[in-house]
Amino acid sequence: MNEMATPPVPDIGITAHYPEIGTGPVDTAIYHEPAIYAKEMDAILRRSWYMIGRVEQIARAGDFFTTDLPTFGYEILVCRARDGKVNAFHNVCTHRGNVAEHRSEGHSAGLFTCRFHGWSFDLEGDLKRIRDEEGFFGCDKAKMGLRRIACGVWQGFIFVCPEEEPSQTLEEWLGEQGADTADYPWSQCTQSYQWECEIACNWKLVNDSPAEVHHIPVLHPNSAAPTMMASGNPMGRLLDVRIRGNHRTNSHYSVQAEPKPVQKLAYFHASAAQNVAGGARGYPPGINATRSPFWTVDLIMFFPTLSFTLSAGMYTAHQVWPLGPNRSLYRQRVFVKPAGTAAERFGQENTMVEFRDVVMEDFSTLERIQRALDSGQIREFHYHDHELALRHQHHVVTRILAA
Amino acid sequence: MSMAAPLLPEGFADLERFVPDWVQPDAVTRMATRQASPIAALREFYDAMLPRGEAVLAHLRHHQLGALAGPEENLLRLMLMLAEVAPAVEWYGDPRVYDGFPVERVRYLRQISDSAAQAFAGEPA
Ligand code: FES
Ligand SMILES: [Fe+2]
Repeated sequence: MNEMATPPVPDIGITAHYPEIGTGPVDTAIYHEPAIYAKEMDAILRRSWYMIGRVEQIARAGDFFTTDLPTFGYEILVCRARDGKVNAFHNVCTHRGNVAEHRSEGHSAGLFTCRFHGWSFDLEGDLKRIRDEEGFFGCDKAKMGLRRIACGVWQGFIFVCPEEEPSQTLEEWLGEQGADTADYPWSQCTQSYQWECEIACNWKLVNDSPAEVHHIPVLHPNSAAPTMMASGNPMGRLLDVRIRGNHRTNSHYSVQAEPKPVQKLAYFHASAAQNVAGGARGYPPGINATRSPFWTVDLIMFFPTLSFTLSAGMYTAHQVWPLGPNRSLYRQRVFVKPAGTAAERFGQENTMVEFRDVVMEDFSTLERIQRALDSGQIREFHYHDHELALRHQHHVVTRILAA
Repeated sequence: MSMAAPLLPEGFADLERFVPDWVQPDAVTRMATRQASPIAALREFYDAMLPRGEAVLAHLRHHQLGALAGPEENLLRLMLMLAEVAPAVEWYGDPRVYDGFPVERVRYLRQISDSAAQAFAGEPA
């Protein structure tokens, strides 16, 4: 047995590093009250930045994709302009409000033509053509382009801000958390799959789901627990929680146990697509911040609604789109390294299926908790020391709403 | 006398009986196939595939995505189905996630192709 086989169990005492956050039970009102949700919309959600895709989706000038910001009801059109810049617009034709581009992705020779009456907009959003223009009563084309939405790129991720005049820049919103995670090889995971589901619960509950692993030995006894929480860590403790402004990161600890038979095939023949320990040399300071040899995964959380589960070989973007005080849309996009051979393709599928099923285990709790909240049957939450990320989220929301 | 085109590469004829039901076009249909199958059928497939997994992957590692012949593509898709079936057999003893959120509520928005070549960083997608 080498030293790696008997690591120290992480200690209690993380919360004590952040005395301003407190240790008492917290009021659950922010998880269900409609009036609080309305305040959150103005004070938190409208003022944040939202990741909507990757620059690789629009590699060449004229490439485009469309998407939405479900929280705000916005339809968005993103394209690569002739000068190489990324442009983002409200995908709303200025004639009568149909989407200017109806396809989900593609390449435009230079014009987006609305499929209602045929108005056309160029890659800068300028209105170029009105069909049967002489029948209109003096439309000023120069003033009728697509409305821009504030847009920025960080590490190849495209972000937009719903505010007309953003109260903080993308860099300000990312803060130290963005700076300290910037040099991870984000662009190497060229392959992704994505799924979504609606969940009848508050957006913060969806955030909470991966934000603590205290539950892993109990909720995931046969799935995640054997590989993530083996011998040394039966209580599911974290290596560390690192708080930076409104953002935070959980570092996960793991001792690799004996994998299940199909996992073993995947690990051996397609290790690149797996969440395995090690390989984290030369990472930026915000990833495996404690530089532990037992590190496997970081959950890098950008307040309010974006987080990344990140390991040496892959990462997953979790996005929660609040739809109301007790309704959310969850979107998960898993990024993996490209497979060259058919054997490696099997490794990707193993990762995808396992991860999806583990999340199904996680999400079993959400609507049950929300019913308890909505019916007034759970008025306080008591957080474990290693549920600090949840306590911090509660602290940040409460602080912003009190301001 | 003409021979039917082989369904699987040479040496894997023992798995051909699984091709009609367990070769599925994508991850969504694999998920649906698992959910719609009794656990006994999932076990029968798993028990036959698992001991052949090493040999199958040793074969597939010599075949590049984007250039798969029909028999190799079928063999890969059997392995992708094995990945979908594995948690049902190894974790739950049931097609469904134990006490889980209903997987029917999951909508796939984007998938990785089963057989197409995959771009590496810096290459056009
Ligand atoms: S709404 Fe677009 S052309 Fe009429
Ligand atoms: Fe979990």
